Amino acid sequence: MSDAPSPRGAALRSARELAQAISSVERGGAGADALIQEALAQLATATGPAARVIGVTGPPGAGKSTLVGALADRAREEGRRVAILAVDPSSAVSGGALLGDRVRVEERPDDDGRFMRSIATRGSGRSLSHAAAAASLLIEAAGFDLLFIETVGAGQADLGIVRLADLVLLVEGPEGGDEVQAMKAGLLESADLVVVNKGDRPGADRAVERLRSGLALGADAPEVLLTSATEGSGVTELLRALDAAALRRGRGGRVRRVAAHLAAAVEARAAERLRAAEADGRLEALARGITDGLRPLSGAVDELLQG
Amino acid sequence: MTERTAPIRVLIAKPGLDGHDRGAKVLARGLRDEGFEVIYTGIRRTTEAIIAAAIEEDVDVVGCSILSGAHATLLPKVVAGLREAGAADVLVVAGGIIPEEDRVGLEAAGISAIFGPGSTIAEIAMYLRANVRRP
Ligand code: B12
Ligand SMILES: Nc1nc2c(ncn2[C@@H]2O[C@H](COP(=O)(O)OP(=O)(O)OP(=O)(O)O)[C@@H](O)[C@H]2O)c(=O)[nH]1
Ligand SMILES: [Mg+2]
Repeated sequence: MSDAPSPRGAALRSARELAQAISSVERGGAGADALIQEALAQLATATGPAARVIGVTGPPGAGKSTLVGALADRAREEGRRVAILAVDPSSAVSGGALLGDRVRVEERPDDDGRFMRSIATRGSGRSLSHAAAAASLLIEAAGFDLLFIETVGAGQADLGIVRLADLVLLVEGPEGGDEVQAMKAGLLESADLVVVNKGDRPGADRAVERLRSGLALGADAPEVLLTSATEGSGVTELLRALDAAALRRGRGGRVRRVAAHLAAAVEARAAERLRAAEADGRLEALARGITDGLRPLSGAVDELLQG
Repeated sequence: MTERTAPIRVLIAKPGLDGHDRGAKVLARGLRDEGFEVIYTGIRRTTEAIIAAAIEEDVDVVGCSILSGAHATLLPKVVAGLREAGAADVLVVAGGIIPEEDRVGLEAAGISAIFGPGSTIAEIAMYLRANVRRP
């Protein structure tokens, strides 16, 4: 082991501590609870405003990662400490994952006011990992003011991120927002702000119009902005709009994130029980019993959940 | 050692000015299909950026893919940087075009294994599973 660490070494070591804590909450269990508890205790005595957590969702390839990278650069210029949590899907077959969002985000290895972590959905089968809420608390306790969470572009309503984030940003491409899609709502319904990205591409203006007119039908319609993440246009305006919307909403805060963590933990537990019951044949045995009229349907779900 | 429940996390990195990314992509997809969580960071990364990414991602393995001929200068820097960060327990492996005569030096510098052209995903996956240093 090397002796006295250089300043660079020291910064890396503190990033490593946060990174390892996140791995621990991904694994779950008693160690994870202790870490979350410790973060909350630390935050309880912290002064200053709570961190702002912005969920970023939208169809695959819309430019979520590129845009988050650009927003992070802008926020860093303002002196805010920025973290990015990027979620990509785990393969249901192999359990592995290919986490590729870093490709689109400029690396700034000398800047310790920035932190980026990729996580896989693992058992959640959703667009968010069960560990995302817990990770957000650890990141906040590590002193970050602004956290972007990029979810898997599922193209559907995404309750997990709505629960967790102070604000949800929906990123659409220049083809986005055809009328049927807008009506299918889902994501649009839960977005606090909508941005059409790839504004440098033809058709982006029309997508903005389509989305605006579609959304105008609903009450409390979110604003629709236009950006080009690769050229940098509209990014400052978007960051301003996100800040303004967060203030307007005022629904953020730690309690919300702890609630999101509890909700995720309940879902994780239920999923785990179900997997166990499937693996050891209890699910099938119950189903057989019910089918053959040997036992009632009622009570079966509770039995499975009890494990 | 207790049995590991979480997937092994691997950073696949392309250090330096090397645009050959086919092997890295084949490997990234192949290891995902073998159950690894693979973080791919894209081409032309500095060793500093690779080290920082390895730390933030808390990976068990850093795999450098290098076909540019600059392995002798770049790969030891990755190992040294990880040590400086207190992450000497991260396994560092490499692949690509690395001449036979350079291997000994790289291994002495802390590169655990080198996989050249024709290596199969299965053999690489097996090596990583057997050699990760963290439970
Ligand atoms: C395809 C190719 C290209 C393509 C690259 C396309 C792409 N996007 O990848 C193009 C045409 C763009 C190209 C360009 C150049 N190339 Co070229 N290219 C090749 C070629 C023919 C095949 C490489 C390849 O894709 N193989 C298939 C993949 C799957 O194999 P692989 O990368 O070796 O990966 C396997 C293993 O090595 C291992 N592995 C690889 N990485 C890792 C990492 C880890 C962690 C592990 C565990 C394993 C592992 O696992 C993989 C599966 O077995 C090689 C020659 C050769 N036979 O290797 C030359 C070669 C690599 N190129 C070479 C050169 C010189 C160039 C150029 C500089 C100009 C030129 N003379 O053509 C440019 C520079 C490009 C750049 N910007 O860097 C030289 C390099 C010489 C050297 N290092 O000393 C080679 C060796 C040809 C030669 N004999 O001269 N090239
Ligand atoms: N022309 C143009 N291309 C962009 C813009 N923003 C992103 N892209 C490109 O769009 C592609 C996808 O960008 P990403 O940032 O990876 O998109 P994403 O939504 O994060 O994708 P997933 O995470 O895979 O769902 C990349 O090739 C980007 O370079 C933009 O503003 N203009
Ligand atoms: Mg992305």
